[in-house]
Amino acid sequence: MRRTQWRLKLVFALTLLAMTACTPVQPWERGVLAKPQMALTPNTGNSGLVSHVYGSREAAPASSGDAGGGGCGCY
Amino acid sequence: MAVTDQAKHSLKENPLAESGISSSLQALTLAALALPTLLDSTIAVAADDEMSFQYGYYQEGKRDLYGLPNQYKPIRVDSLNSSTDLKLADRINLSLNYIQDTWSGATPITTAQKGFMVESLSGASSHVNTGNSILVDKDFNPLEESYSDAGTLQYLNQAGDNQLVHMLTSASPETRKQVNAKLGYEWDEAAMNLGGGVSAEPDYNSYFINAGGRWDFNQKLTTLNAGLSFTNSDISAYKMPQASGYIDYSRQQSSNVSSDSQIIGNRQDWSGSLGLTQVLNKHAVISSTGTFMRGSGYLSNPYKAATFIFKDPNQDNGLYPKGVYQAELISALENRPDLRNQFAWDTKYVQYLSGIDGALHLGYQFFIDDWGINSHTFDLAWEQPLLAGWSVTPKFRYYSQSAADFYEPIYFFNQKKPETPSHSIDFGKLPIQNYSSDQRLSGFGALSGGISISKSFAKGIQLNAGFEYYSHAGAYKMGGGGENAYADFDYYLVNAGLNVELSALSSRTFSGNDHHAHHIAHHAAGAPSGVMFEHTLDQAGDVMVGYRYMYGRQAGNMMQGDSNVSDSIVAQQACGNSGCSLRPGYMNMHMHMLDLMYAPTDWLTLMLMPQFVDMNMTLESLGGGDSEIHRHSTGGVGDLGMYALFKLFDMDGHHLHTAMGFSAPTGEADIKLNAGAHQHEGSSNSADGGYIHYGMQTGSGTWDFKPSLTYNGQYAQWLWGGQINGTVRMESQNDTGYAFGDILQTSAWGGYQLTNWLSATIRGIYTVQGTVRHEFNGYHPRYANVDDPGNYGGRFWDVGFGIRAVVPSGNLAGNSFGFEWLQPVADDFNGYQLQREGALSANWSFAF
Repeated sequence: MRRTQWRLKLVFALTLLAMTACTPVQPWERGVLAKPQMALTPNTGNSGLVSHVYGSREAAPASSGDAGGGGCGCY
Repeated sequence: MAVTDQAKHSLKENPLAESGISSSLQALTLAALALPTLLDSTIAVAADDEMSFQYGYYQEGKRDLYGLPNQYKPIRVDSLNSSTDLKLADRINLSLNYIQDTWSGATPITTAQKGFMVESLSGASSHVNTGNSILVDKDFNPLEESYSDAGTLQYLNQAGDNQLVHMLTSASPETRKQVNAKLGYEWDEAAMNLGGGVSAEPDYNSYFINAGGRWDFNQKLTTLNAGLSFTNSDISAYKMPQASGYIDYSRQQSSNVSSDSQIIGNRQDWSGSLGLTQVLNKHAVISSTGTFMRGSGYLSNPYKAATFIFKDPNQDNGLYPKGVYQAELISALENRPDLRNQFAWDTKYVQYLSGIDGALHLGYQFFIDDWGINSHTFDLAWEQPLLAGWSVTPKFRYYSQSAADFYEPIYFFNQKKPETPSHSIDFGKLPIQNYSSDQRLSGFGALSGGISISKSFAKGIQLNAGFEYYSHAGAYKMGGGGENAYADFDYYLVNAGLNVELSALSSRTFSGNDHHAHHIAHHAAGAPSGVMFEHTLDQAGDVMVGYRYMYGRQAGNMMQGDSNVSDSIVAQQACGNSGCSLRPGYMNMHMHMLDLMYAPTDWLTLMLMPQFVDMNMTLESLGGGDSEIHRHSTGGVGDLGMYALFKLFDMDGHHLHTAMGFSAPTGEADIKLNAGAHQHEGSSNSADGGYIHYGMQTGSGTWDFKPSLTYNGQYAQWLWGGQINGTVRMESQNDTGYAFGDILQTSAWGGYQLTNWLSATIRGIYTVQGTVRHEFNGYHPRYANVDDPGNYGGRFWDVGFGIRAVVPSGNLAGNSFGFEWLQPVADDFNGYQLQREGALSANWSFAF
């Protein structure tokens, strides 16, 4: 448990660090960010299927979505 | 297992992709269009109207049972997912999603040492030696009684007997269907959506609702996301017929959540999430989301059992020497806590690789729950666009979890079995409350890797395909201490999909030619929806994408020829000499077809038609006996159609064309039922339940020749036409021994174009189909009329009522939607069959 807390703190600290590392990006500088390969979840048809399978084989939820559904996956 | 359905919305998750539309930034973005890189991005942004189809095939590897027989096929799942995103108005989006999974195969039900297993006499499977006394030493090691060379009894722990192994059971195919919808509204710097859906399968029905919001600030460099969802699930699982006798279901009975044959339960799942996405610089984005989930109610898996061994350390029965104990072995349905609080923290980082125009995706998830499980997931993907619209993405993932506090592969109790007055186990007096041996709650790690490729075509169409291999092993657990190797398994997943960007298409096709308008007129006046091969494409280079759905239902009276017959006649005559014990209650068939057409020249159109089929039916008892209703379902990929359409005659108002092609046997003609599916007939100990009947197979199993000739006519607002088509089986029998009868169908129709976007048709159809030729060359018990090859085909008359609408303007201009209901007018069945109720055809198509 203690190790878990330590890890959580580390991740939190890294996230904060990352956010302070931001540089202002002007609207006309955002072309790269709008490319399809830069989307947070690219190739979505495929990723939905793959995470559905992870979710039915592992204890953790495959993606922290709020969609609900998915059925039993009891097999 | 609540499986989240992270629908689609790649673009929506990219705050910048979305910000380009209808915002004050639009002007700036447009001003910057001179830059070539931004041109690409705005095309991506425009993809609000999108349709996609995705097929997936999951195949698990065979489990290692350490020498015990295992004839079961491993788990396989066929999945179909189709989704549509539509922009209803400037700021309103609607997304619709349909998912269908059909699964079958063998899965572990419980675990025990090999020495506690019994090999089944039929050689099919092994089961836990439940309910019997077994011999163990003081440490619960299994002992075998034998004679030594000197002729005295000895009790030895044999090599290999301590090996843990799974007991497997196998399930006949089952289908789950899910429909969900989401409605979203966008402001300049915020968005909200509301959604919901239902998921239905024979033993598990859920409905769910969700709400989400997004808020952009800090000049859209920072985005806050929040979401909430609620899922209610009702479980009504049939007790496993193959496991009856091995599993003690009494705990569920005593707690009043079970009927005689079913386990009834309810669970509710809440989830809430909060996330932040931050643009770090021109080339990097990070996103972090925390999700809290709370599940309550029946959270167990109704198909998993835990095995208990009770050994009274003070026993003295005088039968065995010191150090040899009689122990009792019992498998009971697993019992997880009825509350689970979970927290997951996901972080994703995307870095652009400027030299090669690729993007690196790094992800990490930490998960913890109050069952004692915590997990870490690391994933890595490299998205690399290549030349000519190709892109390739290699992926790698590592997952590791610790076991639940109450998880054990097998439970040893150094005590006498606590008993109820009727000598069954008294669960209230067990030293533990919760128990599960489900591998999902064990400690393990998983390594997986794969690759996806996609190809974008200029006309807004994208094809994609992927492969992933996944290996689950106790030894991969982070820090060691995972489950032993007996629980290891692997699987592979292949998928293929099609994406169509509707808005990109229409804006492009409308830019400056009236080709499109011609299409609209052509399709609005088209043939009824149920007619296949009804038109060719107009010009060389034209492409059409379509989706076709057909539903057919049989229900009602049993018929012989053209008249109703009583159940008693069916029982005596419809199954050959032995008589029938069952009759169908209903049978539903659903077919999902993709319609892909391309014209290499003006006179030739090529057509490819992949299909996905699923069927379900009930069988009812004929005349007394057990009154149980048997449900069967099958599903998966159907036969693949490949056709060439030739224009024969084409002038104003009159079009004649012929289609020639083949149907390849990509569907299955050898689907079997499991043992127990026909348990009422006393065959439950057989390894397999035999082939499921001809009509429930997903394919014909034969190569079929499918010619057709079609005429379309039009004058002013009137339209008419006719078609004759055939299906000729090119093989006299398939690999499993039979062939369906040939089919000849003729139809004629007339219609009227009511407005420039709507037409109505009426059609008459006559169909002749032969009986099934030959029969299954393997075990196929004849319980019902459908099991007899003579009870297939016939002569059928139908009337079809159809409408077709073509969107005349706006983003979706040119999309054609058709519906047709076929009403049976007269039947003349071969042999004995269930009355037809009707059929529905619906199709969507878009040509450009």
